[in-house]
Amino acid sequence: MFWRKRTTEDFAEEIKSHLELEADDLKREGSSEDEARWKARREFGSVRAAQERFYLKDRWEWLDKMWRDVRFGLRGLRQSPGFAVTAILTLALGMGANTAVFSVMNAVLLRSLPVNDPQSVVYVKTSGAPNRSNQTGDDWNTSFSYPVYEALRQQKDVLSEVMIYVPLSIDKVAVRIGAQPEEAEGDMVSGTFFSGLGVRLERGRGFTAQDEKDHAAITVISHNFWTREFSRDPGVLGKTMYVKGVPLTIVGVAADGFEGAEPGHSTDFWIPLQNRVELNVWGSSSDDGTTYLQQPKWWCLKMLARLAPGVSREQAAARLQGTFRTATYVGLGAPMAGETPPVLSFDEAKSFPSSDSARPLRILMAMVGLVLLIALTNVVMLLMARNSTRQREFSLRLALGARRGELLRQLLTESLLLVTVGGTLAWGFAEFATRTLARWANINSSLAPDRTVLLFTLGILVFAAVLFGLAPFRVAIAGGAELVLKTSAATSGTDAGKTRVGKIVVALQMALCVVLLVGGGLLIRTMRNLQNIPLGMRTEGLVVFGVNPQSVHSEAEQVAFFQELMRRLRVLPGVEGVTVMGNRIGSGWSSNNTAVVDGKKVEPTSDENSNVARSNNVSTDFFHTLGVPILIGREFTDADTATSQKVAVVNELFAQRFLPNQSPLGHYVGGMSKDQNIMIIGVAKNNKYTGMTEDPIPMIWYDSAQTGGGAMHVEMRVQGDPLAILPAAQKVISQLDPNVPLTQPMLQRAQFEKSIAQQLMFARLSECFGVLAVVLVATGLYGTLAYRVNMRTAEIGVRMAVGARRGQVVWMILKDSLLLTAVGVVMGVPLAMLVARALTSSLYGIKPFDGMSYLLAVVGVAVVALAASAVPAGRAASVDPLTALRTE
Amino acid sequence: MTTQENNDERIALLQGTLDLLILKTLVLGPCHGQGVARLIQRQSEEVFFVDHGSLYLALQRLENKKWISAKWGVSENNRKARFYSLTLKGREHLVEKTGEWRRLTRAMGLILDNSMEPNGEEA
Repeated sequence: MFWRKRTTEDFAEEIKSHLELEADDLKREGSSEDEARWKARREFGSVRAAQERFYLKDRWEWLDKMWRDVRFGLRGLRQSPGFAVTAILTLALGMGANTAVFSVMNAVLLRSLPVNDPQSVVYVKTSGAPNRSNQTGDDWNTSFSYPVYEALRQQKDVLSEVMIYVPLSIDKVAVRIGAQPEEAEGDMVSGTFFSGLGVRLERGRGFTAQDEKDHAAITVISHNFWTREFSRDPGVLGKTMYVKGVPLTIVGVAADGFEGAEPGHSTDFWIPLQNRVELNVWGSSSDDGTTYLQQPKWWCLKMLARLAPGVSREQAAARLQGTFRTATYVGLGAPMAGETPPVLSFDEAKSFPSSDSARPLRILMAMVGLVLLIALTNVVMLLMARNSTRQREFSLRLALGARRGELLRQLLTESLLLVTVGGTLAWGFAEFATRTLARWANINSSLAPDRTVLLFTLGILVFAAVLFGLAPFRVAIAGGAELVLKTSAATSGTDAGKTRVGKIVVALQMALCVVLLVGGGLLIRTMRNLQNIPLGMRTEGLVVFGVNPQSVHSEAEQVAFFQELMRRLRVLPGVEGVTVMGNRIGSGWSSNNTAVVDGKKVEPTSDENSNVARSNNVSTDFFHTLGVPILIGREFTDADTATSQKVAVVNELFAQRFLPNQSPLGHYVGGMSKDQNIMIIGVAKNNKYTGMTEDPIPMIWYDSAQTGGGAMHVEMRVQGDPLAILPAAQKVISQLDPNVPLTQPMLQRAQFEKSIAQQLMFARLSECFGVLAVVLVATGLYGTLAYRVNMRTAEIGVRMAVGARRGQVVWMILKDSLLLTAVGVVMGVPLAMLVARALTSSLYGIKPFDGMSYLLAVVGVAVVALAASAVPAGRAASVDPLTALRTE
Repeated sequence: MTTQENNDERIALLQGTLDLLILKTLVLGPCHGQGVARLIQRQSEEVFFVDHGSLYLALQRLENKKWISAKWGVSENNRKARFYSLTLKGREHLVEKTGEWRRLTRAMGLILDNSMEPNGEEA
């Protein structure tokens, strides 16, 4: 196949010389010059045909051999369809699962930020916001105040660019293009955002420092959004898009692939920093008409920076610490005694930061890695088993003169066939699984497999193909050419070394299975624990949606709008209760402040956060609608108005912690001065606020009729299917304000479950992979055991012929598998404990060394092993000794 | 490997026999393609017809199998030509194949001679 190639020119030369020699001979035999030449040519036939054949020969030979191998392989697979289907499905599942999880991991963790020179781009971080400041953000350490931004961007010799990006809402905002109200994810950014990051614009322009200064009413949309909403209309520039009712002119389309500054998010549009109350950061309402720009104490801006050339992250942090501290206390006054000022740091943005999903994803990747390992060993075992029954065939072929290379080529072709078919199926399966995974994980960014994913999958495929070709090769040639002469199954089938390898592999598989079952079991029980967390309210029948009135211009109008809305919703058929709230419960939103009781600030105890109280603005009927019991006093009624005494309800914990051993009713919370004082009128039972896993925290509920607020969330309790009320609710709202969509309508239960969505997804996936692993191990075990029993048919026949009883034979076979199971378990349990320790942070309400989970896993594996051995054992025992011996 | 010509008494070569004939021809010493063709035709008393195109492909095949080797040289009448010579491996192969062929023809002869068919012209 790989000889030194002779050129076609050389071949042509040889033919020319042939024609001359022939002509010479013919002349000598008496032909004339012309006649001789003509005859020589005629005798030769077509010179060109000969040359073509020469040219094609080696190619044809190669293709021909290949084709023969493929046909032979296909025939072989058709003859053992059970083997083929099992192997292909095993491969498809194992590789598909890996590709899917890898796709997600690649998108979220590995793919680097699609910006210019990502190495020098950093996320700006702090150790926290200073005391007495307000903070809003995804995390405690990612938000900064406007003065900090102002100060940092002056330091051009350390940070060549500082970019602000801050969401317009915690999730999506109301957007209108034409007549249809929609929801989209939008960020407010500094003028340096596109230029500083070096993000290319597909069309139009990015933002400038002037746009930032003017708070220009313009927007750049993402490539995705452009595709989704405008079908890539080239005339999109200059069109108007309404964001929360504010008209903005589209001036650019960002490059394909840029979906915002963070992983897992897909930003639809960007606008320059605004100073309008409607477009305040994080969708916050403003009580006094000021925004983040006028509130130096408000830490709410997320920042990226580009390091100046030659400056490392550590150097930059060290050099900017002083500037940062000065800016930190703008508007706060000097730090209090004993206060630790926040510390500035920078995080790599080269690849996306390890977000919350990083760890589970890695663990998931490890899990599917194990599944793949099991799948691969399974197929190898199957192949070895199948090919040892083919030993005679190979032996015969060797005897007939086939070379070892040819056998190897044959085996590789067969393995390639399996892998190709399995790989194709796997790719389809992966596409499906990736979409499901993305939906579960709430990842909006593009998960389309890119080159890295393709290479990853191809890598596995090639590895598998070579493995599957080589592993059985040893077995295939082990018999040598002489084997064909032997006739006894007893001598040709079992070879001590081979079965030892087989045993080790089976035991290993069982060990891996134990690991997956323990991990899966722990996570499933975590899921169950999470789902059964008492919320302190009845969520059945509760539906929630956001309403952001566009037509109200004062606090009074806002209050009136919602009172009218509630009044109209309450009369809809089937409605049992309606209330509104400022922060949607279960969404993660919360307002947190140092508790002030009777005009005095509560001092923290040893626990720094023990003096924090959370608050929410809610309307009448809140506790009744949610089904939260009021323990003492009353809840808000229509009698509490903007002009009456300001009132509040607190929870049990608040009362216990801040007003112990006394009735909290009549005490004051909220303000330092008398006129701000808000009187406690009721105590409610503890209930969940931000999410399902939060620990109880002191709570204050204020009456929204007295506090006002911008957008509110409406909670309705209805009979029957709660979601069925939405069209009617939308109609009611449209009567009040035609521009307002229901934002994020969903069941309250679903909203709460979003807070544990990741754990739920993780547990469900683990369940899937656990089941997958068990199925794979079971098929592998069954195949291997059945094969081994098959090989021993003759032996069993002899045993039975000389008097062994049925039970003895069954026991002989079962003993074998039980021993293997024991070894597998002994290896698996410590491994599982290691894995469980790594899982600790993902568990809820269960310890990593939970005995029950281990016991169940071990029992599970044992059952699989027994089931897989019982059938072949039974078959072996029912062998008629005479038949068994006659197979010889 | 060979084309058939039905217009005369020449016989198309059996598949696989051309290789053997080439090897046999080269036992006498190195020779070029045209010489090999002529020799085969002459030695078989013009019974065999060698298709020249096939001959050169066969030579190439044998060269690839390292049964013969080739190098460019000059013919007796001063023409440039590619000369083939038998390798050790080729010689071994020839011996083996000749033996096989002998057995085959003997067996064929035994059967054909014993049947009612009166004439069994064999090469």
